[in-house]
Order: sequence, then C-alpha cells, then structure tokens
Amino acid sequence: MWIITLKALRSTLMKLSTNKKNRDKIKATGRKFFLLAACSLFVLVFCLGMASVPSPKVHIRKLKNGHYQLIVDRKPYIVKGVCYNPAPISQNHEYDWWSDPNRPWLIDGKLMRDMGVNTIRIYQTHENAEEAKQVIRDLYTKFGIRTALGSWLGFWEYPCPFYGDKRFQNRVKNEVLKMVNLYKDEPGVLMWILGNENNYSCLGQVNPWSNEEIDKEPDPQKQKAMRAKIYYSFVNTLAQEIHKIDPNHPVALGNGELVGLEFAKQYAPDVDLVACIIYRGKTFGNLFRSLKMTFDKPILLSEFGADCYDAYLKKEDQNMQAFFLESQLRQIYENLANNQEGAGNCIGGTIFEWTDEWWKHDESNPDSWAVHDTDSNWSNGSYYFDIKAEGNKNMNEEWFGIVALSKELENGLNKRIPRKAYYVIREFWKNPQIKNKIKGKRIK
Amino acid sequence: MKKLLAVMAALILSLPLCGLAEEQAADKLKEFVVYNDKNAKDNHFIPSGWMGDYGDVKINDQSADNPHAGTTGIQFIYSAKKAQNQGWAGVYWQNPANNWGNKKGGFDLTGMTKLTFWARGAKGGEVIQKVMVGGIKGTYPDSASVEMGPIELTDTWKQYTINLAGRDLTYINGGFGWTTTADLNPEGVTFYLDDIKFEADPAIKPEAKKQEGMPFYVYSDRSSAKNHYIPAGWMGDYGDIKYDGSSKEDPYLGDTCVKIIYNGKKAQGSGWAGIFWQNPANNWGTVDGGFDLSKATKLTFWARGVKGGERIEEFKVGGIMGEYSDSDSAVIGPVILNKEWTQYTIDLKGKDMSYVIGGFCWAANVDNNPEGATFYLDEIKYE
Repeated sequence: MWIITLKALRSTLMKLSTNKKNRDKIKATGRKFFLLAACSLFVLVFCLGMASVPSPKVHIRKLKNGHYQLIVDRKPYIVKGVCYNPAPISQNHEYDWWSDPNRPWLIDGKLMRDMGVNTIRIYQTHENAEEAKQVIRDLYTKFGIRTALGSWLGFWEYPCPFYGDKRFQNRVKNEVLKMVNLYKDEPGVLMWILGNENNYSCLGQVNPWSNEEIDKEPDPQKQKAMRAKIYYSFVNTLAQEIHKIDPNHPVALGNGELVGLEFAKQYAPDVDLVACIIYRGKTFGNLFRSLKMTFDKPILLSEFGADCYDAYLKKEDQNMQAFFLESQLRQIYENLANNQEGAGNCIGGTIFEWTDEWWKHDESNPDSWAVHDTDSNWSNGSYYFDIKAEGNKNMNEEWFGIVALSKELENGLNKRIPRKAYYVIREFWKNPQIKNKIKGKRIK
Repeated sequence: MKKLLAVMAALILSLPLCGLAEEQAADKLKEFVVYNDKNAKDNHFIPSGWMGDYGDVKINDQSADNPHAGTTGIQFIYSAKKAQNQGWAGVYWQNPANNWGNKKGGFDLTGMTKLTFWARGAKGGEVIQKVMVGGIKGTYPDSASVEMGPIELTDTWKQYTINLAGRDLTYINGGFGWTTTADLNPEGVTFYLDDIKFEADPAIKPEAKKQEGMPFYVYSDRSSAKNHYIPAGWMGDYGDIKYDGSSKEDPYLGDTCVKIIYNGKKAQGSGWAGIFWQNPANNWGTVDGGFDLSKATKLTFWARGVKGGERIEEFKVGGIMGEYSDSDSAVIGPVILNKEWTQYTIDLKGKDMSYVIGGFCWAANVDNNPEGATFYLDEIKYE
C-alpha cells in the first residue's frame, strides 16, 4: 500500500513539471524523496518486526558494570518476598491449603501487601492446577504479589533421588515441564526455582545417592565431583528445555549455600540465576563476592531469616528476630545493582518464612503439631544471642514466622499476629537504610 | 511589615547556620567523660554491669586514697574467691545502668579517637585481663567492640590508652569495662581507676590489622613461636579424641608433629568429631580475633594415617560463624589418608581471607571409620 502511494505521488510530481529543467529538478527531488521514503519504510517495517518480538516479560539484565537486575515488565524489580506454606496449627506440610475453603492466601495476601511484600516463594505446586492458578491469580490481581514457583526435583522421594538414573531424570523432567506448561501464561508467575538444597545430596550429606559408575570410583572426592556433574548437568538440561517452551520467565538453580557452584559453573551455564538458602546470622559475609568469583550469576536469597525464640533464656524474643532480619536486608540492598559498595549481583530475597509452622520440630508425632515446640534440633553459631543454649541448639524451627499463629480462629483460620519483624521490615522496605541506623544520644 | 519580613528572612536564613554551629560544636568536642569524680556532672556511664564472680568484687567509687586528680577515684577489690564459681569477674560502665543491650541508650561518640584512663595497683603487679570499650551485645548492640590487655599495674598512677580511631562509635552503651581472672590474681587484687574519658585526638590513626606475611603457620612444631592458632575447638564426640601436639613418631619435618587418635565410640552420641585450630582459643566467633591472611593463595599440610585408608571427611579453613565470622571458608574432602606422608592443598584463590579465626580444621565420622582412626598432621601453613 505504501509503495502504491509513493508511485502516485511521484507521477503527480512528474505531471506538474512544465519544462525539462524543472522536470530534471523534480526527477532528482523525486528520487531523493523516494529514497528517503524507502528508508523510512524500512525502518518502520524493522521496528514493527521488532515489536512483534517483545522482550521477555521477566528476565535478567546484565548491566555494563557487570551488575545484574531482574526486569519485570521492562522495569527493575527487587524481590521483596516471603516463603509461603501456611500450614495451620495441628496440621503438617501435607495439609492442602490450596483447597482450603477459607482461602488463607486472601488473608495473608492483604497483610503481605500492607507490609510491602511483592513476591511469595512456593516450593512445589499443587496437584490441582486450577486451584493453584486461582491462588496465583488472586495474589497477583488482588494484591500485586507475584509467585516464584518451585520444584523439589524429586529430592524427598524415598529412598533417595536417583539423579544418576535416566528414568528418574525423565520422570522429574516431565513433571517440571508439565508445571511450566501449566503456569507459564499466568501473569502472576515470576520465575521457576529448580531444587532447594539438592546439592547437598551430591556430597552425601542429605539424601545420598549413587550409581554403578560412581560406586566403582574409590576416591570419595572424585565421587563427589561425579555426582555434582550429573546433578548440575541435569538441572542445565531442565533450564534449556524450559527456555524452549517459556522464554518469559527466568530459571533459578536452587542451592544450599554456595556449595558445589564451582561445578555448576561448568555444567549448568544455562540457568539464569541462583536461588540460595543462606543462614549466616547478621551478615552474609563474603557471599556475594564469592559467588561472583565462583559462578557469575545473579542471586536470589531464596531462604534467609531468623527464628524468634531465645533457646537460652527460653522465651520468645521478637527483637532478636527483627534485629537479624533487618541486618540481613541491609546487606541484600547493599548488594543490589548499581550500589558501588556491593557486588551488584543480588536481586532480592524471600524471607523464611511467612507464618510459623507448628509441626516441624517433631514431624512424625501428630500430637505435637498442636503444640508450639520450644525445643531446638540444630545449632548455628551465627545466631549468637542464644548460642549458649543447652548443647548449643539454638535454632527453633517452629518460630521462623514473621507472622505468628494463634489458636484463636478468625474467618475460619488461625488468627495472624504480625511480629515485630513484620513492622521493622515494612519500614525498611519503605525507606531502605543500608547503614545501621541505631545511634546513641548525640553528645554535646 | 517590611521590617517584619526582613526579620523573618534573617531568622530563616540563620536557622541552618545555627544547626551548623551545633554540628560543629559537637564535632569539635574534645572529650567525653566516663568517670571524673564522684557525683561529677559529666560522668556519663554507670558501673552497673557486674559480670562473672560479681560476689568477689567490691567497689568504692569515692575513694579518697590518693586519687589521680580531683577528690576521688574508684577503688576495686577483687577477692578471687569464685563466689559464683566462674573464676573471673569484671564490671562494665553502662548507659543507662544495667543495660545489657536490651534497651536503647548509649551515646553516639563519633569523632572520638581514643579512650584514656589512669590506673594503679595497691601493691603493683596486679593483672587486669583486659579493658574494653563497647562490646555489649543484645538487641541494641554496641556498634564497636575494642579490647586491650592484659595490663600489669604498677603501684603508681599510669595512663593507658585504647585506640578507637576508625571504629564505628555511633552507638556505645558499654563505655568502659574491665575483667580479670582468679588464675591471673590467685590472691585477689586491689586496684584504682580514675579519669576515664573518651578523647578526640586527631593524631591517633586507626590500628589496622596488618596483612600477615607468608608462609604463616598454623602448626610448625611443638612450642614453636610460629604456631598462630590453638587446637581448642573440639567438636562432636570430643570425648573420642586424643590430641598430642608433640608427637615424636616420625614427624614430617622438625622434632614433632600432631598425632590424633579418634576412637569412634560416640562419647557424646554425635557419630563424628573434629578439631578447629582457633585464634584466640575457644573462639567460636564470639570475640574479635584471628588474622588477616589476604596474601595467602593456599593452605598446605602434610598428613598420614597409621594404617592408611583412614577417611577424613573434611579439612577446612575458615567457616566459623558467630558475631565475628570468618570472612570466608574453603574445604577439601573426603580424603583417604595414605600410610606415607602426603601433602594436601586447600586452594584459596579468589577467597576472602582477610579475617580468619578458624585457621584449620579436620572432621571425621564413625560411619566411615568404624574402628576409629589414628593419623598425623604436620607443617600446616598458609602460603
């Protein structure tokens, strides 16, 4: 159509010419005009062509200074998230909250929005896709909260995840791709997180696995390397397959600490970012720079936080939890893109966790799920306030919520009681202060 | 009306200047007193934080017995009788009184570069284990923790200085403190303190932790002055471990080597055991210590098993996590030991070794050593 119009214009110009000189001038002018119009047309077509291939909805952008940003709908996005598994009192992790007629995510979503949360992390999707989609949609449309969807990658399967077995790999791959196909068009989906702390199984620390080839290797260090190669190569294959069917969401490698990422650098180059579980007390230490040296990918702190029970004084201490969380958030912000003092590779984090889970301490004993246990199962010296607890066991699994649960019911759900950390984080997100803001009285 | 406007304009313009003047006044403050004299108006902290065997401590904060200046000094009598069975005692000056970091108080002492105090012993020879500024933890922790000591007192007044240059003094609740032990003073001590104050001395420069030269030994030989870490951090089934730091059984180099016997009997029921070499001893990240080993690119050590085939799950450097965490960690393992001395290397390239409390560590478990393991270590050093 454009060409027809241009031809008509040129013909008109020619008809208007009265003499040779003018005709020559008009001819020359016409040629120039034609050339200009053709170029414009080319640019227009090129732009239209570009417009038909929009940039991915969510993607990682590497800046010129080597820093990383998560881009969502063309804008930088800092993940202000929480890990979400709202098991009510008396229930354990198997509780099907997705089907709960009281729809806990609506109560929680409002509280989260008011706090400033923009993301939840879910470790594994629900079997009923329609219900899961409804949760994701509700959180996004009603509260603007996006969902990072995860898969355990069969990590908890009995007796162990056989990553060295192709049949096991194929089954897990099919499950993951099914998840991606089911949810990739949900506007509320933010990213895919593959695995959690599965890398520890390569070291034989948790859910150890092997195969015939590994068993033949006498050197345990080489065995470890062989397992890491198998596992991270598998995750890389998953990342490649996901990218083929969903270019709009990044793929994160879930990882415990930075353990094994030297292998990931070699065998999992196609993951877009790492999602690390880090419990290092008030500081992440050298985490961000160390990652840059080991495996230069952006990092989401997909689990971090602190419990609010002082195992030494044997009483709840909300100040302690708020202190650690605020300190951790300061470090996260210090290492976001374009902060010269940081590594520039952090994109935010999802705090562990939204609500307490009363089943965790003694998970095989259903009677204990209705009791808020104050015993601790493990020790971590970096949470030093209560490290003098008996046996140095200071980490209280059932007390990590930034929102406490009450036995009192409200709208059919355990009443939510925000802890001090809720308010401290809300204020931090409103006005992030990277430096410690506690100051003494000014001396005069 | 014009006059009024002019006055208002002048006032508005002068407000920032007033603020500036106040800032400058604060910035130019030369000293800030912890204790001057009994009931002095400029005493800013209270000696309320009694620690350890507090029953062994007596205080007289208006001692007229030869004060250094003014009319009074502070007399402390520490009896070393272990009233609370602790073996040590001490006192913190706090603001407000009894503030162990559970409430907001303290002062922003930015601009001060040192704390000075005068001290003397009743007889001379009294040993103060350490003196401190800051270091109180809790929900409102001090922004700095600085320690100095031990100090051996004389029977005449002497001034001591704690360097605070470069420290973050934005929140100091523990203005000053001292501790000492019954081991250092078995007969107890009487000593005096006076004129404790922060000072803004521009001539004081930060005491940087110097980068240590290489090689830097964890263990060289028994009693070697080159040994920088102490094998004090026994972990897991510590009852299963026997440690001999002066074994003469075929050392790799020098007179002695380290011999470890791990019997795998699960004395504490853990199923594993290990030892961390720390600085200072027993430092699980609870106190500021360690070394700046930024120049190190690797740690090497020699090891052998008594039979060969002993499996050590990890050899590690760094990784102690606490209030003062190691700046990084690196690990190798599992390692199957040979019967002959073999050198092993932990690669530190790209690691941040600027702050290392945990100089070296091994850990083994009973699953892989059902009969236990006896092994030797020697020449553990950063290079």
